[in-house]
Amino acid sequence: MVAVLLLLSVAMLTLYFRESDRGVAHGVQGTVLRVVAPLQSGTARATKPFRDAWNWVADLFSAKAENMRLERELEQLRAGLAQELTTQAENKQLREMLAFQEDLVYPRGVELVTGRVVARSTSAWYSTVTINVGGSRGVDVYDPVVCGAGLVGRVTAVNATTAQVMLITDQLSYVDAMVEPGGAQGIVGGSVAGDITLQYVDKNEKVKVGQYVVTSGRNSTVFVRGIPIGTVESVGKQEVELYQSIAVRPAVDFRKLDLVQVIVR
Amino acid sequence: MRLMRTPADTAAFEWPSWQEVVKLGVTLLVATLLQTTLAPHLRLLGAYPDFALIAVVCVALVKGCEIGAVFGFLTGMATAVALMEPFGLNAFVFVLVGFLAGRYAETAELSASVAPLVSVFAATCLANVLLAMAQFLLLREVPFGFFIGRVLFPALVLNTLLAAPIYLVVRVWLQGAGDLRVARVR
Repeated sequence: MVAVLLLLSVAMLTLYFRESDRGVAHGVQGTVLRVVAPLQSGTARATKPFRDAWNWVADLFSAKAENMRLERELEQLRAGLAQELTTQAENKQLREMLAFQEDLVYPRGVELVTGRVVARSTSAWYSTVTINVGGSRGVDVYDPVVCGAGLVGRVTAVNATTAQVMLITDQLSYVDAMVEPGGAQGIVGGSVAGDITLQYVDKNEKVKVGQYVVTSGRNSTVFVRGIPIGTVESVGKQEVELYQSIAVRPAVDFRKLDLVQVIVR
Repeated sequence: MRLMRTPADTAAFEWPSWQEVVKLGVTLLVATLLQTTLAPHLRLLGAYPDFALIAVVCVALVKGCEIGAVFGFLTGMATAVALMEPFGLNAFVFVLVGFLAGRYAETAELSASVAPLVSVFAATCLANVLLAMAQFLLLREVPFGFFIGRVLFPALVLNTLLAAPIYLVVRVWLQGAGDLRVARVR
C-alpha cells in the first residue's frame, strides 16, 4: 500500500507540472479549494486575535530599535518637508501652466479588488500566500497585488474563488524598479532568506540610504508605475563589479499581511 | 526498527471503524487549517511550527504504519490544495514519514515520553532534507549553510518541543487516555 501511495504521489506531481493550468489536477485542486476556502477564511478570522496578540509580544522585543530608527527617519523627513512644500507649490504652478492632468499612482482603467490572506506557506523555499478573491472577481495571473504600505507581489495561480500570490521576497520574484529621487533603475529581486535587493543598478548612479524604491512601470511590465516597494537600506559598491549591490527594506511588513488589493486590468 | 512487514504484521492490521475515520478526518482538517492559517504567524526560535508533519507522526505512532501512510498522503494533498502548491510533493514526503513513524512504533519498545520526541526529530530531519532536495531538482536556490542553520536546525528544535503536547492531544482524541505505552511490539 505504501508503494502505491508513493507512486501515486510521484504520478500526481508529474501530472501537475506537465499539464496546463486547465488540466485535471489543477481542476481538482480548484474544486476542492472552493470547498476549503470558506473554512480557511473562517479559521483566519477566528485566529486573528491570537495572531495579533503574538505579533504584539514579538513587536515588544524590536520596539526599542524600531523607535530609534523611526526617530532618525522623522528628523530626515522634517528636514525634507520644507523642501517638499516648495516643490509642491512649484509643481502645482507648472501643472496649471501645462494643463497637465493629475497623474495618479494607478492609471485609469484599473480596478482594485480587495481580498484577505487566508493561508500562507511556512516553507523556507516559497514566499507565497493564498487570498480569498479569484477569477470570479476578475483576478488573473500576473496581476499586481498591493496593500496600504506598498507592493506585495503578483498573482501566480488563480481559480474561481482564490488566488495564489508570490510575494516580492520569493527567490523567483523580479520587479522592474527605480530609486526616487534620482531615477536610478534596476530590478528588485527576492532571495531564499526573504530579503530583497535592488540589482543591476549601474555603479555610476548615485544611490543613498533612505531613498525610496518604487516600481518603474517601464517596458509594459505587469507592475504599474510608482508603487512603493521599500527604502534603500545599504549600498555596496565594488570596483570589480559592474553593478551596485543595494539592500532594500520592504515597505510592507509581510509578517502581518492581512488585507490586500489586486490591481485588475 | 524493522522496516519490512511480516505476514503476521499484515494479518494484525485492522481497518479503522467509521468513528475512527471521522476522528482521523477531523484531525486532518484541524492540522491543515492550523498549518496554513495559524502556523505562518507563530515564528518561534527562527522557525514555523509544522503542525501537519507532527500530526502525521502522532497519528502513525497511535494507529500504526498503514494508517500513518494514508493519513500522511491525505495531509500532504490537503496542504498542497490549501496553499495552491504542486500536488504530490508533500504527499510523497508525508507517506514516508507516516510509514516509518508507524513502523518505529510497531517494532520498538518505547515509552510515551520518548517516542514522540525521537519520531518527530527524525521525521523533521527526513522531511526537510527531502523537500530541500526536491527544491534543488526544481532549480531553486538551496544554499547549504542556509538550509542547515536557518531551516533544519530551528525546525528540529521547535518541532521536537511541540511533539509531546501535540502527541498527548492526538492520542487522547484518537485513543482515549489509557495505556501510555506507544510501542506495540509484533
